[in-house]
Amino acid sequence: MAKVKALILLFLGLAVCALAQSESSGFASADSIAFSKFYISIEGGEKYPFGDLIDAVDDAFYVGLGARYAYWEDFDGIILFQYSYFEPHREIPRINGVHEVSGKLGLDYRWRLISPIALGVGFICNWTRADYEGDKKQFDFKKDAGATLTDNETEFGWFARLNLPIFTLDDYRAGLNVLWEQVWTLPERSNMLSVGLYVERRIW
Amino acid sequence: MRSFLNKVLGSFSVPSLLLAATVSHAAVDAEMEGMEVDSRDDGTFLVGSPTFYYDRILGAGGLHSESELWSPEKLRQRLLFNRMSPLPSWNPLPPSVWLKTGNELGDLIYQDFITLEDRPSNRTPILEGGFRSPSFKGFWVTGRAFQDDHFSTRSFSYRKKIVDDEFALFGENYPMFSSMYAGFGYDAGQVNASVLAGEEYIWIFSESSRWIPVHYKPRVETRIDVGNLETTVAYEAADYQNKKKKETGERKEWNGSLRYRCGEACRRGMLQLSAGLAFRKVDDSGVVYTRLEDDRVLLPFMELKFEPAKIFAAHAMFAINDRDWLVQDSIEFRPVAPSKSGITLGVKNVSGTRLNPMADTEEFFDGDTISLTADGQMNLVQGYAGFTDTLGNLELGGRGSFWAEYGAETFDVDKYVTDEDFVYRHGDVGRINSWIKGVTGELWLGVWYQKMFAFKALSGFERVDGKESRFEVTPVEYFTSFSADWLLRRSFRISHSLRYRSDAKWNLRSRDPLTVKGDWFWDATLEQQFPLYGLYLTGTLLHVLGDEIIETPNGAHNRLRFVCTVRKTF
Repeated sequence: MAKVKALILLFLGLAVCALAQSESSGFASADSIAFSKFYISIEGGEKYPFGDLIDAVDDAFYVGLGARYAYWEDFDGIILFQYSYFEPHREIPRINGVHEVSGKLGLDYRWRLISPIALGVGFICNWTRADYEGDKKQFDFKKDAGATLTDNETEFGWFARLNLPIFTLDDYRAGLNVLWEQVWTLPERSNMLSVGLYVERRIW
Repeated sequence: MRSFLNKVLGSFSVPSLLLAATVSHAAVDAEMEGMEVDSRDDGTFLVGSPTFYYDRILGAGGLHSESELWSPEKLRQRLLFNRMSPLPSWNPLPPSVWLKTGNELGDLIYQDFITLEDRPSNRTPILEGGFRSPSFKGFWVTGRAFQDDHFSTRSFSYRKKIVDDEFALFGENYPMFSSMYAGFGYDAGQVNASVLAGEEYIWIFSESSRWIPVHYKPRVETRIDVGNLETTVAYEAADYQNKKKKETGERKEWNGSLRYRCGEACRRGMLQLSAGLAFRKVDDSGVVYTRLEDDRVLLPFMELKFEPAKIFAAHAMFAINDRDWLVQDSIEFRPVAPSKSGITLGVKNVSGTRLNPMADTEEFFDGDTISLTADGQMNLVQGYAGFTDTLGNLELGGRGSFWAEYGAETFDVDKYVTDEDFVYRHGDVGRINSWIKGVTGELWLGVWYQKMFAFKALSGFERVDGKESRFEVTPVEYFTSFSADWLLRRSFRISHSLRYRSDAKWNLRSRDPLTVKGDWFWDATLEQQFPLYGLYLTGTLLHVLGDEIIETPNGAHNRLRFVCTVRKTF
């Protein structure tokens, strides 16, 4: 019932948010703002598993590409693609590591009270595949650790992030991206924190 | 909200004032075109696979599901065994390019390294990609590949033994269907035409409760609409197989329809007439697991609407051939019909020798011939009364009905057999030759604010009673749902629904009835919209909150799922 109550509160909360903004409340036309600014970025940093995931994989470096675009006056759309190579925390027979490509899509909110910091939230889609030795048919999917990763595995989740610009120069900006992600795995959800530096250039 | 619209459209002959009084808005996106039932909240909707579900709107009357009943509105749907199914849809989509992917949530990923016991079963994805070009002098081209791997895991190992390859266009999950087509079309005012050709793998659920693999190669569908005349012709070369029993078969089938719709001038008249013909012709060789009597069926039909005044309308649909007949009619009286409120009183009737006269007539199962037709006829009568009123941004409505059915189609079970975790049945389609009665009631409340917000609360109950309870499915007794849609700053859509339904029960597909426990469900869609660019980025969560249970015999778990779509319209 706790979940139901939370959802009812969410319902009411969103209703209040929606009703608080009348159609004529002065927001410029979304169409005129969308994509009026566009930025691309490169990023690099480290990912830190949290919770029980610490026993599964070690910290790993990541590199990525990003895009940010104006969506509303105070919101930006964000798209991130990141690559990492995770090594198992303990030795797993015939598996050296796991390639992960993470796609993220969401929104950054540029709250004036904490400007220039932006708060972001969105969905994740992680694709993974093990770097393994031998024939995948030799893995028993029901028993062998890491066996499912010998095939393409994809899972979704959500993220929240802090976008912390450090300095801006003309069309360039550098900053820190601190991102918490939860992937909807079983038997437990998988949580990670990533911290990375980015350099961003405004395209238009 | 959408469910109410569907109900009005599906159950009755369009009480237009009730329809007009409702708030129109978008709703939670289905994971794939044709899977809308999975988010329905106004009756008994039990999903075992994209290719098999039980869909009965509370208050529809009778015990059959909506997809079991043939009607001219479903002429361009697919016939899957004895059900009309909107999936796999070969309806050309509007000019756009799109990509969709998703997953049943709960793969192991890195948990795989630390979970050595009680490992969860594999979760499977959904894939779709397609395009339709803008028109160039009326001509366009299209292509689409789509398959839904959800609901495939539970019967995976059983189905894998029957077929000699992965039985899919992509991957190794043995999806319940996998389809791909390409083609071209022409649109120019009074003439719309298209030709699509492709390949399709599909697992069809039968009366014996087994999954039958069918491989269409090729499947070709042509549609030609000229003025008010609609023509559909499909050719299907279907392969059947059971590798375990070393059986193979082939069916070459022509099917389609011709329909003259009442035109614009006709619709303004007091008497409106439409008519048409549906047909199938099959040629079987080898082992095909079903049979169509005489290898053909022709079903002429006629639709009438008599509306002498706005307060009165009578609708009727007659379909008849040498084997079967089917009648669906209604009389509706709207004594109070101002623009934003109304009272509707009506009576509807469904009678016929068979719910779907287009379906095959026999199934062959382990040496047994299962008759898919029953002697006699069914008669369903329903009386209903509804009201709706609108006060500013508030709408209130209700509907009550009483129905009685004699001769309802059922299944007379001779025996059950078990193979691994699955139960099958022998017997024949039969009838319940006694009266079954039901009483229903529903209330709804809607609130909306400009185009930004719309909320609907809907609740209903139904009590079914009768001397015999040999129903395939005992429907839910009550449900309640809350759905809301926001369009924030005209470019961000949130649609979600929270709902509860009570227990439902499958009575005839296993020795002990399968009770589908009642539960709460929550679905939500979030969408970034860029209308100026025709770009839509959508994420949808389905089946949140509810336990992941099996909703149909020999079906799969209905799991928590996430689906995302990128669409660019032209």
